[in-house]
Amino acid sequence: MLEWAWLIPVFPFLAFILIGLLPKRTLGWENGAGYAIAGAGGALVLSMLVIWDVLNGHILTADAPRSTWLIIGDYHIRFGIWIDQLTAVMLVVISVVGTLVVVYSGGYMHEEGVGRRRYYAEIMLFISVMYGLVLADNYLEMFIFWELVGLCSYLLIGFWYEKPSAASAAKRAFIVTRVGDIMFMAGLVILLWRVKSLDFAVLFQHADPPGTIIQQGLISQNMLTLATILIFGGAIGKSAQFPLHEWLPDAMEGPTTVSALIHAATMVKAGVYLTARTYPLLVQTPESLLFVAVIGGTTALIAATCALAANDIKRVLAYSTISQLGYMILGLGAGGYLVIHAHSGGGYAAAMFHLMNHGFFKALLFLCAGSVIHAVGTNDMRSMGGLRKHMPITSITMLIGSLAIAGMPPLSGFWSKDEVLAGVYEGGQFDPIFFVLWALGIATAFLTAFYMFRMWFMTFAGEPRTAYHAHESPKIMSVPLMILAGLAVVSGFALFIGDGFKSFVEGSISGLGIGTAGEGAIEIARTVFTNPLTYVTLGLAVAGILLAYRIYFMPGFDRSVFARGVPGTIQRALENRWYISKFYDDFAYKVWYGFSLVADKFDIYVIDGIVNGFAYLGANTGSTIRRAQSGNVQRYTGFVVLGIILLLVFVIYVFPWGGW
Amino acid sequence: MIPIEYWLVFSSLLLAIGAYGVLTRKNAIVVLMSIEVMLNAANINLVAFSSYHTTLHGSADASGQVFALFSIAIAAAEVAVGLAILLSVYRRYQTIDVDKINILRW
Repeated sequence: MLEWAWLIPVFPFLAFILIGLLPKRTLGWENGAGYAIAGAGGALVLSMLVIWDVLNGHILTADAPRSTWLIIGDYHIRFGIWIDQLTAVMLVVISVVGTLVVVYSGGYMHEEGVGRRRYYAEIMLFISVMYGLVLADNYLEMFIFWELVGLCSYLLIGFWYEKPSAASAAKRAFIVTRVGDIMFMAGLVILLWRVKSLDFAVLFQHADPPGTIIQQGLISQNMLTLATILIFGGAIGKSAQFPLHEWLPDAMEGPTTVSALIHAATMVKAGVYLTARTYPLLVQTPESLLFVAVIGGTTALIAATCALAANDIKRVLAYSTISQLGYMILGLGAGGYLVIHAHSGGGYAAAMFHLMNHGFFKALLFLCAGSVIHAVGTNDMRSMGGLRKHMPITSITMLIGSLAIAGMPPLSGFWSKDEVLAGVYEGGQFDPIFFVLWALGIATAFLTAFYMFRMWFMTFAGEPRTAYHAHESPKIMSVPLMILAGLAVVSGFALFIGDGFKSFVEGSISGLGIGTAGEGAIEIARTVFTNPLTYVTLGLAVAGILLAYRIYFMPGFDRSVFARGVPGTIQRALENRWYISKFYDDFAYKVWYGFSLVADKFDIYVIDGIVNGFAYLGANTGSTIRRAQSGNVQRYTGFVVLGIILLLVFVIYVFPWGGW
Repeated sequence: MIPIEYWLVFSSLLLAIGAYGVLTRKNAIVVLMSIEVMLNAANINLVAFSSYHTTLHGSADASGQVFALFSIAIAAAEVAVGLAILLSVYRRYQTIDVDKINILRW
């Protein structure tokens, strides 16, 4: 079965071709939604078969069938598929969320008219290349799909391209992620230059046991550190990590379904996936791991604080996405230390567990937000309120999502967030900085609970703040919400099924010399509930929810304190996203524009000066020596005679003297 | 048999005289005549070397004489063309002084 996994991206790709090329009247329901659902569904079924195989212990890695794409000299570039437990986790998220989002789009995009054709075609292309990205068996193939998902992201953010803010958000997303992509490519160039291969099979085989790739003299320690940090740079861009995170909130200009699928559940996970996939290299470079962890921890906290003051419902979710991605990256960074020092894949597995759970509950939250926006017609939470009565299904599913992301047991977010934070704390034994990062992590957990419930209370609770005519969304939208809500509840229990989710995922890095714990469900539960840190996190999350309840639900709280004095300053800093966006704008407008002006002047006066100088020299020389052309035939003849005489002198006297 | 050197000195003098005429005379017709003198210097060289070949190898080689004949024919054609050009120059400018005919300058 696994050999046929390459067919997974083919289904959505066929749908993309069909939707794009078929005559308009054959598109049918919703301008192509039928084809889109069929394409996504086909991939879903096939993915499930593949996942079933992986669950049964089959993987297809180094010995997968491959086809040659390019031959350059004696260097063959081959493409193939790579399916291990990590791929399976990604497949679960992409296939389930992808299919549900496409179904949901059938209702959500109803009013878009002919634009729906473009929408469905682009969504199908995105799903197809996203599958390609996780199935790739070498960095080059991955990089190609990596760029393609970036392209789809650009196209879909700019779906309403006639709106200037959407068009510029699309450009911004494209350019900012490109900064990361260039770093990724530079890292690949280093690997290709030194190790002469980008195949996972080659790169990772040298990585077992850790350190051999360096011991074999293929690459120096410093060079490998540089390469892994650069590759992680790609993840910083794509997964919107600090300092390249500002594109993601702007990306909310796209349709909400796009935000749910691309900017919450799948594409932004590509950076986390890349980091996880690079693990065999990362564990050889502890400095890179530390960098990864610090970036993750910083991002988690900064994004969570930005979410506190956002009034756009989608921006709150966007910042929470960045924050949760920071958790995953932090978990991966700490997990690497555990692999090196404790021979345990716990942190790694916890991060991937959080990735899966987050994929479900964040898609759910976005689709709920879409449902709300669909009903109210605005993104601004200040004009909502009291929607609970009008939209019972949406409000309950969103409550489930909010509880899950806040980390309330027994919902999925509790288990994975707890595992990630436990992994980070454990890393503190090997480098004290992880204790600091752990503190950032629990602070983020508190903030997460607070802003999620601020959002929920502002949207659904209380009384309507404007006169809107909301109604519950149609079945085609509410059923995917219910399915995702169900998944958000149960996906956390994957921790306990069989040998447990963690030992399953650890299988994909089993070559790194880790001892799989293989704990039973009871032991896992006991570990979770006897750890005092669990209750610290849980207590903070509950405190966050209660605080939000106090400020945004209970009457009698004077919120004007946020407008004055020190709280006011902080409030304004948060509303301006810590001025990071402003810093980039200033940097572009002032520093870079100034530099450009200098470059312009240099071009005009120096470069053009040199070019014009040569032209002037030529013209002047010409006008001087053209006076030799007197038009006098006899003078010409005189020159000819003189030339002949000189030639004779040369031939007879000068050349023989020189030895000719 | 006159030695080859005599012929060469003679033709060199003839060439120099012709060249002197081409370079110094103002009248275009005289310039044309001087060119003919130079051509004939070349013809003399051709015939002289043809004859010298017989002296050197004991066998005749007529190529030099044939080239001389070609050269004379071409010189005749050239004179015809040259005189025709001079005629139209004279009609246009009322002069055939080569110093005055300088419209092809810069």
